[in-house]
Amino acid sequence: MEDRRSRIEERDPPSSILYPLSSIRRLLRLWKLYALMDFMLIAADLKLGLTYYLSDAILNIAAVTGMLLLAERFAGIGAWTHDQIIFMLGYATVANGIVNLLGGYNVMMISRRVGRGQLDHTLAQPQPIWMALLTEGFMPFSSSAVLIPGIGLLAWALGRLGLAIAPGWLALLALNLLASAAIVLAFSFIWGSLAFWAPRAAEEISSSTVNMLSQLKVFPLDGLGPLLLGGLLTFLPVGFIAWYPSRALLGIDPSPWGGWLTPLMALLLALLAAGVFHKGMLHYARTGSQHYSGFGHRS
Amino acid sequence: MRTLHKYWKTAMMAAASYIGDSPLFLVDYLFRFLRVAVLLALWRVILAGKGSVSGMTLEAVLTYTLIAEVFGGQLAPRTSLDWTFWSGAIVGRMLQPLGIFGQFAAEMCGRWLFELSIFSLPLLLVAPLLGVSPLPAGPAAAVLFPISLLLGISVGLALEFIFGALLVLLALPLWAVNQVRAAVTTLLSGALLPLALLPAGAGAALAWLPFASMASAPLQIYVGTGDPLRLMAVQAGWSLVLWPLARWLWSASRERMVSYGG
Repeated sequence: MEDRRSRIEERDPPSSILYPLSSIRRLLRLWKLYALMDFMLIAADLKLGLTYYLSDAILNIAAVTGMLLLAERFAGIGAWTHDQIIFMLGYATVANGIVNLLGGYNVMMISRRVGRGQLDHTLAQPQPIWMALLTEGFMPFSSSAVLIPGIGLLAWALGRLGLAIAPGWLALLALNLLASAAIVLAFSFIWGSLAFWAPRAAEEISSSTVNMLSQLKVFPLDGLGPLLLGGLLTFLPVGFIAWYPSRALLGIDPSPWGGWLTPLMALLLALLAAGVFHKGMLHYARTGSQHYSGFGHRS
Repeated sequence: MRTLHKYWKTAMMAAASYIGDSPLFLVDYLFRFLRVAVLLALWRVILAGKGSVSGMTLEAVLTYTLIAEVFGGQLAPRTSLDWTFWSGAIVGRMLQPLGIFGQFAAEMCGRWLFELSIFSLPLLLVAPLLGVSPLPAGPAAAVLFPISLLLGISVGLALEFIFGALLVLLALPLWAVNQVRAAVTTLLSGALLPLALLPAGAGAALAWLPFASMASAPLQIYVGTGDPLRLMAVQAGWSLVLWPLARWLWSASRERMVSYGG
């Protein structure tokens, strides 16, 4: 029965959504496949693989070092203690690591795939586009260069903060981390969908948006005026990448629902991203690719 | 004049290239503006009621942050050299009737002209609305800042060609090197955070690196928190050391350039 369903799924990809168990099994198979490919990419040329690995680690450590040094110099920043800042930076790094884990090979920079006409590569495959986008960027070995330092920072901060860590709190931390990563990806997809209409001009727009989020995520936003802060929690959701969820998890924000706000925002943005991307796909179905760069299937 | 004319034309083509496609390039400038606003708010939180810290008042730090963004391109000079290696277009560049260092520098200046008019000038104009004084510390700072900025650009360009030559000589991957270089330079140059406000010892040590000559030195002169003569002497020293090194590395890697990327 399962084999027959798989065959149906391959002939008629959209029908896979009717068979969730089969879809989950397939997702796991694909993640395993892409994990193996990721490992082989590093192992095939160890010098090159390690260079990329180290550069990712250095890049992400450098991104938080400035704030770490400031927190050290001033024994905290505003309402945040030194250790709370370390927690926020660890949170930001782990969230970024999750984005890298799932969004490699220009899934995160979706405007490149769309703008370069490489979405055709994905559309030609015998699987739904959501499944392809959810699996093609999976790179557990490469992304560990970001995840491991991030988890280290989080663990260090938690050890020093002396919080009473209950399983429920850990589950909320994990949920918030996934939500923050989902917000980055959704935001990149919302802006990146512009490339359906302006393939050349918007080819790099996802990298601009992701870079902006990456640069601003390490700052505590407490001192901003209401207008700017409101903007950074809605139109440009930088505040949900690390600042707000860390406030909620550490109890700096007194609201009892604070821990659920980031997941709620992630859900809203994911729905918006799916809608905008779908609209772009409808446009793409009429116009096709106007600008093609043959940089390879997954880049 | 005829010699300069071809470099001027190169710069103009680079400036015009920005607006060739659509107004979406403005998004980058919007994000940069946001970064300035967030950084200014951050300094107000950190330094509120602290008076002068390591010789820097809150007002000086705010001006430092604003001017670092206004002259962002000049404080971290980048050409299209590495991408030209990556795409293999360096072969065509060598056939052009312009000096190789000069043509990349001219392109870079062309992009600056555009950026200065579309982003830097408006940012300077709205500075009072952000509660920041965009003025230099005094007449001496106003005179010495452009000189220090030019020295900083000289150091930055020399580093650009040194990194470019090293990419080729060591066959390093462009993406990895670019990422690390951008991240490390931003941190070490003092363009993002004034080196004086880093923990004791760290800022003083970093001030002697060539990266600090690119950004920290001219910015300190602008806000009047450093000794201009000492800062410019260090900048000139790095320039004198790095340019011969850049020329030597460039000659050593010249034959390998055509086989890198492409």
